[in-house]
Amino acid sequence: MTKILKAKFPEKCIGCELCILEMQRQINKIGFEGSVIRVLKKPRMNTDGADGLEYSIVLDPQINKFDIKKIKEICPTQVFTIEDQENGLIG
Amino acid sequence: MDSSAKKVLYIDLNSKSYEVKGETELAEYVGGVGIGLKIFSNFKERDPIIISVGPLNGFFPYASKTSIILSDEGVIEDIYIGGTLGSRIRFSGLDAIVLMGRSSDKVVLDITNENASFKENEIDLGTLGLPGMRSILAEDSNGKMLIDRYFTSPERFLEKKLNEKNVHAMTITGSKTFDLKNKQKYEEIYRNLLSRTDEMYVKQFGNPSCSGCPMGCEMSKTGELGGNVLIHCLVACTYAEGIYSDIGVIFSCLNVLGYDYTHEDLEKLPKLINGLLKDIEE
Repeated sequence: MTKILKAKFPEKCIGCELCILEMQRQINKIGFEGSVIRVLKKPRMNTDGADGLEYSIVLDPQINKFDIKKIKEICPTQVFTIEDQENGLIG
Repeated sequence: MDSSAKKVLYIDLNSKSYEVKGETELAEYVGGVGIGLKIFSNFKERDPIIISVGPLNGFFPYASKTSIILSDEGVIEDIYIGGTLGSRIRFSGLDAIVLMGRSSDKVVLDITNENASFKENEIDLGTLGLPGMRSILAEDSNGKMLIDRYFTSPERFLEKKLNEKNVHAMTITGSKTFDLKNKQKYEEIYRNLLSRTDEMYVKQFGNPSCSGCPMGCEMSKTGELGGNVLIHCLVACTYAEGIYSDIGVIFSCLNVLGYDYTHEDLEKLPKLINGLLKDIEE
């Protein structure tokens, strides 16, 4: 079985980008270019207008070639889970 | 990393032109408020806004703010704002962005790495720069200047000055990467700093956080005004003062990045800054 990283709780994301920086450090880089994780943000709206930010996390499948345990663990709000993938299906 | 010069993007709003210079005379001011005040003293007749970062921005946890120096009715103000702006400037390869003069019409500045372009006021900001690698500085519907549509600055000095200069909004994209020369040592220092959240003067919370900061604190939104000179030369968060006021910690961080600043260089910073302030006031 293959382990895969999932951004299961994006609503918990605070946009700190530590996951991106961790991933880049694993290939001896600091910066955002070439990252296989993208954290995108947009205003979070309520009935009175914008009241914060809402983040979405885009994971390129190549992320699973990295040390995903380290990426999961560096997130301060536990956005990520590691799940088993069997025969192309998520278990 | 190079300690011998600071890379500055000078934007002339009158002529809508720009140039990037490596400034050796800024090196001893280290970063942030230090280089901001020095640039201000060099160009004060052009009423500059200086947006700058420090040597640790983008590289270490809690070094997550951006320094802004401007004159508000003759009074020098030093403002520090959060969000992703500091890391985008770092990864643009610049140490400072300087806005001089005044545009004849309202403009949007679109900065990607070391290049600037001047766009019309009506442009959709979402079409500029690179999503995920950019920071947007723009007013909300109440006329409050926001970074990333959330983070603000104390008072309204920045909005007022940008309005005077006819700058409607700015986007800054940083798409450069830096190679790690000593990964093991860097990782060791990085992990150690990241584990010291209990030494922060704020509690972890679920608010939008600054880039490189795990806190998501209740204070991240509002920015800072004035404070500790050394912290603001590094442009670390003021709530990380318990960590970044230790010269040994700072020196380790600088050293692993390849900067060759000495303890003495850091210790003389407050005196240098005081000298600059006196020069500016004369």
